[in-house]
Amino acid sequence: MSASSKIPFNNPGWAGNTGEFDLTEAQVRGDDYVGKRPPEGGHPSGASSYPYMLAETDPEAPLFEGPHKERWEKLRTRYPNARSALLPTLGMAQELRGNLSPDTMDEVAKLLDLSPAFVRGVASFYTMYNKRPVGRFLIQVCTNISCSLCGGDDVLQAFLNNTGTELGETSDDGNFTVIEAECLAGCGFPTTVQINSRYYENVTPKDVPAILERLKAQGE
Amino acid sequence: MAYPYTHEKEVRLLSKHFGEPEARTLQGWKGRGGYQALPRAFELGREAVIEEVKTAGLRGRGGAGFPAGVKWSFMPKERTRPHYLLCNADESEPGTFKDRELLRWTPHQVIEGMAIAAYAIGAEHAYIYCRGEFFETTQVFARAVEEAYEAGILGEDSMGSGVKIDLTVHVGAGAYICGEETGLMNSLEGRRGQPRVKPPFPAQAGYMGMPSTVNNVETLASVPFIVTNGGEAYRAHGTSESPGTKLFCVSGHVRRPGNYELPLGFPLMELIDDVCGGVPEGRTLKGVIPGGSSVPILNAEECKDCLLSYEGVIAAGSQLGCASVIVMDDSTDMVKQVRRMVGFYAHESCGQCTPCREGSTWVEKILRRIEDGRGTEEDLGTLMEVTSQMEGTTICVLSDSVAAPVQSSIKKFRGDYLSRIRTGEKVGAA
Repeated sequence: MSASSKIPFNNPGWAGNTGEFDLTEAQVRGDDYVGKRPPEGGHPSGASSYPYMLAETDPEAPLFEGPHKERWEKLRTRYPNARSALLPTLGMAQELRGNLSPDTMDEVAKLLDLSPAFVRGVASFYTMYNKRPVGRFLIQVCTNISCSLCGGDDVLQAFLNNTGTELGETSDDGNFTVIEAECLAGCGFPTTVQINSRYYENVTPKDVPAILERLKAQGE
Repeated sequence: MAYPYTHEKEVRLLSKHFGEPEARTLQGWKGRGGYQALPRAFELGREAVIEEVKTAGLRGRGGAGFPAGVKWSFMPKERTRPHYLLCNADESEPGTFKDRELLRWTPHQVIEGMAIAAYAIGAEHAYIYCRGEFFETTQVFARAVEEAYEAGILGEDSMGSGVKIDLTVHVGAGAYICGEETGLMNSLEGRRGQPRVKPPFPAQAGYMGMPSTVNNVETLASVPFIVTNGGEAYRAHGTSESPGTKLFCVSGHVRRPGNYELPLGFPLMELIDDVCGGVPEGRTLKGVIPGGSSVPILNAEECKDCLLSYEGVIAAGSQLGCASVIVMDDSTDMVKQVRRMVGFYAHESCGQCTPCREGSTWVEKILRRIEDGRGTEEDLGTLMEVTSQMEGTTICVLSDSVAAPVQSSIKKFRGDYLSRIRTGEKVGAA
């Protein structure tokens, strides 16, 4: 995502859309500092903390090969036993495949020598593991108290209207899944919306068409 | 320009460099006085660092307010088994948005605080449990950790001290309950994030059954200042029972929401009216949730003399929690907002304890019925009774968090409920 995007970045995420700040989007998000993270994982300390690359997933992606295997082996060294590496392993599997099917969970179980039932029990506890396929863009609109007080429900409705989907469903073109999110910790900048890895803050219903255009045009 | 939403009344010990992209980098952070505290901690020694934090009176910023130095002193002095430091960055209490700011604007401040704490409690490995949704924030933090390794601040020989400090960035997967310290430990062990019965406490048997300490991001971020400047300098701010500064997360119906770092004991109304510019024009204050959605709601009258310290908010009838001040003006539909909060807890209940699992679900259903205009006055009594059985009857306090908004709103905003029940009319639209 470039700071010189034609579609305006009006959601700085820390000040509100005040027109007072002079940072670029990349500076606010930290993209310029982070740079592109290497697929093989960089330093092992951060090997499990990769962005959610939903837009480039492959449901058939192997668990794990090439640089991904290297990265997985690195993160595995940071946990005292196989079980404790379960969450990051599930996270990586979802990153590559887009969701965690029962078969994927079973593969993860084999990889870590855990029982399939245990892995499914853990995976089902956590909401961020998609148990079924979602669109290229998973749009999560916060409707918890702080956002709700400032119009979060209207923003959710605007996303549903503009994507033509029902809550929790995926649009016909496979692009968008819209769901309600619990508090995303952006309460001072309502309404907070998470789209794949990215936060969009201070979103109002009138911003929604431009955000969707931007997603279609830029792929993130 | 820098962080635009600042105020002259702020005392910015932690947040001074928010909004400065250069402050994220190791070089930029060193240029702003970073990484002076860690070598000083090595000079002082473990015991003296713990004493300094005790002197500062730093209280846990995750909500419970337990003194951090005292918590550290519970760790065994003899290191016969691995010790662990766990930084709780699973920020998800509705209304709270401070840890994300600390992590993404001042990652090295958090890393330095974690390294000092790890050293003080004899932990060679520290984990930071980052909320799963914080992808962007976590990337920034992981990059900073990488820089700290490259510079020899982390690793086998931290800053030439001979002390080993490893730090691992762990990401959660979407579960509010993993912010409860024992739920966090279970999750970090690869299990469902269900809280554990205490005792044993984490200092005896924590992560992987080993002595562990769990601290909030803001708590650890406060440590470098204390080690560099001394506990007394920290104590110079705040009240005697609540020393220091605190990031106040103000959201809802105010003109300038945001994070404001103020000395503890700051008057609530001054925060709302002065620092945050008051409620929008033409509106009046209806109520305030002073500490995140898990604490009782204050009505406008109770807000008047409320001081924002741990003891001050208790005196006003609520709790400071993590200082997440949610402001509601007269446009607020209280029934809807309470139902929304309870819906959150029903969704996030881990399901272990019956009063919480069943109670939160039924309370949400009853509230939904009232909101839809199908409630009865008897429902209010039922809600009070059900929630009274949810307090103190479960392993963790998530269940109590359901009771707080329900009971306080029925007591203080009964008219809103009655209007909905008797005439079907909403009070407020937001």
